[in-house]
Amino acid sequence: MLNTLAQAFALITTWEVIVAMLAASVYGLVIGSLPGLSATMATALLVPVTFYLSPIAAVATIVAASTMAIFAGDIPGALLRIPGTPASAAYADEAYAMTRKGEAELALGAGVWFSAVGGIAGTLSLMILAPPLAEIALSFSTFEYFWLAFLGLMCATLVARSSPVKAIASMFIGLLVACIGIENPGGVPRFTFGMTNLFGGIEPIPALVGVFAVAQVMRAMLTPEPPPIPRRKFGSILAGQWKLTKKYNWQMTRGNIIGIIIGVLPGAGADMAAWVSYAMSKRFSKEPEKFGTGHVEGLVEAGASNNASIASGWVPSLLFGIPGDTIAAIAIGVLYMKGLNPGPTLFTEKASSMYAIYLMFIIANIIMIPLGIVMIRLASYVLRAPRSTVMPVIMLCCAVGSFAIGNNIFGVVIVATFGVIGYVMEENGYPVAAMVLGIVMGTMIEQSFVTSLIKSDGSVFPFFERPIAAILAALAIGALIWPVLVWVWRRLKRAHAPATSAG
Amino acid sequence: MRLPDRVTGLFLVGLGAAAAYGGWQLPPVPGQPVGPNVFPLVIGTGLALCGLAIALGIGRSFEEEEHLIPVEGGQPPPPTSKLYGLRALLPPALLLLYVAVAERLGFILTAAMIVYVTSTALGARWKVALPLALLAPIGIHLIFSKLLRVPLPPGVLPMPW
Repeated sequence: MLNTLAQAFALITTWEVIVAMLAASVYGLVIGSLPGLSATMATALLVPVTFYLSPIAAVATIVAASTMAIFAGDIPGALLRIPGTPASAAYADEAYAMTRKGEAELALGAGVWFSAVGGIAGTLSLMILAPPLAEIALSFSTFEYFWLAFLGLMCATLVARSSPVKAIASMFIGLLVACIGIENPGGVPRFTFGMTNLFGGIEPIPALVGVFAVAQVMRAMLTPEPPPIPRRKFGSILAGQWKLTKKYNWQMTRGNIIGIIIGVLPGAGADMAAWVSYAMSKRFSKEPEKFGTGHVEGLVEAGASNNASIASGWVPSLLFGIPGDTIAAIAIGVLYMKGLNPGPTLFTEKASSMYAIYLMFIIANIIMIPLGIVMIRLASYVLRAPRSTVMPVIMLCCAVGSFAIGNNIFGVVIVATFGVIGYVMEENGYPVAAMVLGIVMGTMIEQSFVTSLIKSDGSVFPFFERPIAAILAALAIGALIWPVLVWVWRRLKRAHAPATSAG
Repeated sequence: MRLPDRVTGLFLVGLGAAAAYGGWQLPPVPGQPVGPNVFPLVIGTGLALCGLAIALGIGRSFEEEEHLIPVEGGQPPPPTSKLYGLRALLPPALLLLYVAVAERLGFILTAAMIVYVTSTALGARWKVALPLALLAPIGIHLIFSKLLRVPLPPGVLPMPW
């Protein structure tokens, strides 16, 4: 173990990794703090660059950029009431109310401090949870993998903040996209319509860039420009944070735990964690009436929660190749590209790389404090960059980046197509995260499904015979019928309510 | 581009049915009960059922209203004519344009065009858009072509490096 740790240190203390990490941190902070550019988009646009880095440096950029971007989203939230990333949307109102009360330093300081604490807690959960789970996962057969993937997809549809039917439909669309190509059990061209470019299937990364970056530029075309940040001088950012840590210790811990759990659930990421934690904080607070008027308690809990989810989202990604959130979905793509194929054996065969990932998460969360403070002080300058200068550059990165992944101009067509698909879906209430998960997991779920069917000779019983498979199956089917139960319960309550009021 | 649920639902029914039919048509693997045809069949059927449910309005009670945070500062609301909505299609159209002409015109010229049009469409004046269209393509070219060695098309205006 010590030996592995030493190896991991050696892996991350090369110039390439250090420079990549610092550059990605600055990049993540800038993109995250610009309203309308999300952490997922920041990560997706990084992928073409990671292509040319060593495996550890590639992972380092993803880790650093995503961690920083989630925190940086708090900055315009507090100063402008416009969340920089969706993950900060839950408490942008609260943070802005604090700024209006003259407590901008406290709000932003809580953002950076509790984000760092949450990120480190999430990393610890990754270190503690992943290895024992890997032990269990080593004995998994295709039946378990099928149910696990199915459960993952169901979770993604359950937690979506929209109609579960639409979420399931989005997931099916994603799976359908994954059907394209010749990588299927028969090796025949499927849904390629005679186009040779489609034989290799739809690469997840250009699809993700389209859904998260191009669709965002499309939305910008129709929405008014956010106002520039007023220039201001900040006092000490970290003053009073230690007092807050002691006062809201329990809220912080609860935020960490919720963030970790939501991060591990496939498809639910930082934004979900922040919403749930903010709601919980208000629900269990001793002074709920203060919420919404510039009260720091919810910020502490939700800020800790969204960053905790980032690291724990890597647990299912590294173990099973099932992404914990959309950022992890991109990370999986990079891992495959770099020969670090996700799976339980990663923890035994490439243990030093895993330790290197843990270390990078911890380092990223520590350097976030000084870098974050610098970013907060520079925010009024950076955020003055108008959208009309940022978006064109994003467009160029989309075009060049999607071309660079395979040196294939068809990648640009995919990006454009998925931009339109993502835009139309989002406008009509279809959650794109569920589709992304479908695209990333499609091949895996089909393989485990078809192999299991062949093994069982067409019978369904073997799907439930092994104990772990049976448990996973029960959970997955439970997740499928859960919305139906909620609906029936709501109906019964509504039918009951007038009766009692009449009587 | 907000369409009624009935339209999107019925579209999904069609898409699902087409996928199921297309999957069913695929040749099976000889000597095996399941092949490449099973998965699209399952997915297509599922999608069609979901589409039907959406068209019938099932599950709409779960949809939460989006928490739109109004922009402070009192900007006038964008005009809502039919053509205005089509502006959203500009970014993908520009990307397709890139696919069509980048090989012939070269990266720098095509990229400058994309930057200028996007920037102007987002409300930049030519004093901003023009220098940006000159500098951004060169910057991106430096990073991707020089540092990362991506073979960008030189076209009629090759870069000196």
